Amino acid sequence: MNQITVFSAKNILTMDAARPNATHVAVKDGKILSVGGADCADQWGDVVHDDSLKDTVLMPGLVEGHAHMMAGAMWRYAYAGYHDRIDPTGKIWTGMTDIDAVVTGLSEYASKLEPNEPLVGWGFDPIFLRTERLSRKHLDEISPERPIAIIFSNFHLMCVNSKALEMAGYSRESNGEGIIMGPDGEPTGELQEMAAMFPIMRRLGIDFRGLSQTPDSIRSYGDVCKRAGVTTVTDLYSSMEEEDLATMLAVTGEGDFPLRIVPALGTAGANPAEMAQFARHLRKSSTDKLRLGAVKLMTDGSIQGWTARVRWPGYVGGQANGLWNTAPDQIYELCEEMQKQGVQMHIHVNGDEAAAVSLDAMEQAARTHPWPGARHVLQHCQMMDRGLYERAAELGACTNIFSNHIWFFGDQHAELTLGADRAARMNAARTALDTGVKIAIHSDAPVTSMGPLFTAWCAVNRQTMSGETLGPEECITVQEALHTITMGAAYTLKLDTEIGSIEPGKIADFAVLGQDPTAVDPMALKDVPILGTVAGGKVHLL
Amino acid sequence: MKRLPLTVIGGYLGAGKTTLINRLLTEDHGKRLMVMVNDFGAVNIDASLIKAKGVDTIELTNGCVCCTMGADLFMAVGDVLDRPKWPDHLIIEASGIGDPARIANVSRNEPELSYAGIVTVVDGENFEDLLGDVQIAPQLASQVAVADLVVVSKVAQIRTSLRHRLEATGAARMMTAEAEFSQLLWDIQGEVPDRSHAHAHFAQWSEEVPGFFSRDQITALLKSRPSGLYRVKGFVRLLEGMAEVQVVGKSVEITLCKYEGTAVLVGIGPQAQFDMQAIKTWWEGA
Repeated sequence: MNQITVFSAKNILTMDAARPNATHVAVKDGKILSVGGADCADQWGDVVHDDSLKDTVLMPGLVEGHAHMMAGAMWRYAYAGYHDRIDPTGKIWTGMTDIDAVVTGLSEYASKLEPNEPLVGWGFDPIFLRTERLSRKHLDEISPERPIAIIFSNFHLMCVNSKALEMAGYSRESNGEGIIMGPDGEPTGELQEMAAMFPIMRRLGIDFRGLSQTPDSIRSYGDVCKRAGVTTVTDLYSSMEEEDLATMLAVTGEGDFPLRIVPALGTAGANPAEMAQFARHLRKSSTDKLRLGAVKLMTDGSIQGWTARVRWPGYVGGQANGLWNTAPDQIYELCEEMQKQGVQMHIHVNGDEAAAVSLDAMEQAARTHPWPGARHVLQHCQMMDRGLYERAAELGACTNIFSNHIWFFGDQHAELTLGADRAARMNAARTALDTGVKIAIHSDAPVTSMGPLFTAWCAVNRQTMSGETLGPEECITVQEALHTITMGAAYTLKLDTEIGSIEPGKIADFAVLGQDPTAVDPMALKDVPILGTVAGGKVHLL
Repeated sequence: MKRLPLTVIGGYLGAGKTTLINRLLTEDHGKRLMVMVNDFGAVNIDASLIKAKGVDTIELTNGCVCCTMGADLFMAVGDVLDRPKWPDHLIIEASGIGDPARIANVSRNEPELSYAGIVTVVDGENFEDLLGDVQIAPQLASQVAVADLVVVSKVAQIRTSLRHRLEATGAARMMTAEAEFSQLLWDIQGEVPDRSHAHAHFAQWSEEVPGFFSRDQITALLKSRPSGLYRVKGFVRLLEGMAEVQVVGKSVEITLCKYEGTAVLVGIGPQAQFDMQAIKTWWEGA
């Protein structure tokens, strides 16, 4: 057992300021024994040299501070998104950039299904296909017999074919909300919101709960993360119940499971005191690979759905201010109770009004129940400005910024939601770092694809899909970006003494890369090949 | 096809949703209820009615209460429908800031559910102040606007200023929480009112419906009915065939059906608001 293995690499980017670069790292009992040259562990006794990674570049295992377990299990359905995406097995799914491509791609997928087995797709986003609306007529071309449902990437809409409409009893007679009718008086196939989607989901066997807590889903999440170089990931709105705990513990406890999962329990609607107690109760079951005890608060909606709560001057199209998912009074109550019971909070804030209210609530809680090490984390922070970041810094709160939005939705934000000026200020990583607040950056997978190096690329270059640079003043350096996807994110999870850098005493979690991200053109950061990970000293190459 | 009636109870934090639910669970109405609530701990039921208590369900002698949260709510409704034995009525408590219509709409779309109204509870003492809070006012106003019935809690009478404010916000029917209202939730049984079960607090109406209507005509007629007539059900003849009528508060549903009996409508409403003369005038003007 207690063997010392010394891995060699072309370069090791340690993210440890005390020794930024090295060529060798010694591992014992799954932990980092020492870092340096080939002889770095010689004084500790006999060593075994492992040169299998000698042509690679090692970084600390990457940390994704905001993602969802569904990111793995969604792949049981057909991908129908606009952008290329890689599934847990490594297969590249080519993006479907027009409706013909959607029909052709899904027809091919359908040919591999059992006769009349439902075809369920996900990831479709009409914001990128503005010429024509997807309708049942398109999906009937794939099959008139087989029920088909394509879930849109925001999970608020779907489009279904005639067979699926028939199964749910939807017709020109239907007068419920959310069943969209065409000029001919017949349903177009588009269904809006759960109240209209649910009858279809029920009949096609689509159950989001099954996408999180099953052994397959958990393993699949491990595969998705491994492909992104991620060794520690969150599940940031866990609906875990007592009976799910055993499954999570069993799967994450398997010797070759390559991932550390940090779930945060969703708090919607529940009694704050009881929820805090449940989080504390779960915390006692934590293991190295499953870190329990945090909670997630939802406050507002999304900016591109015009449901985020924004301050003056509001939305550029004059849309009404968004919606609270949790009332400000409840946000205060939750912050107070979590702070009182010592439970770390991850607080979803897209709009700046939501961020301001959350900071007010955190400040009040901090006055009543001082807790210097709370490290509550504002999540998304898309519209936070200098003033709000200053307040976060004063409170010792962390901010996890949604940098992927710049590329995926930046053009839409400039044109349709916030207007050009405020869009250029979105996801302001530069301002955040300058105010001294601790930051991470994230993908929110499966909302956008998991890949911290891609997220870092977004924060460094701030390029949109149309090739614009959105707010160059808010760009951060490659070094800063690499820090946020390792030490930065680890700090937000209170794991920065255990992971996030390659230094003695920490867990031997590495990302194995094909190139040195500090040596490539910053525009090529997203293309640095991920070869696999090392988790607790165990090598997991792709 | 058998359908499970769904009623959604909306209203802001502290408005009195739970008090209302506790009352429904304790009243002797002969229905087996299934109630889905946000905060399990707040449900306070007489111990003599409790058969068994689990982590997230309480079995009662007249139904059960279970705790559900957020996105899984719809899945939980699916679980109820998949059970071999249904309750008589499903009641869902919406979250304090939530839009009850987002939940209730499912009963207009799901063939195995039927729409049984949105009841929004408002605090008779502070609701006008809450409408002055710009952060939450739009969402609270929409809870009132979508309600079939607004129940005003904590006051013996609805103040005139509050009544006007609620009407301006879109409330069509309102009563105090002290008034009897549970009969308004249940589907009207049978084709003609059953006098033997007549309840002192509720009045009934019934008429045969001669002639043919267009869908728009009958919808417009039912929407213009006197407000005391809270629920109407029955059958009418459309040009394209017989249609079933289901009216609850603001909701009017007309669905073609295979029915060969008499075209007749029956209605029910709270006695205190039931103006038989107005109903007669309305019907004769049809």
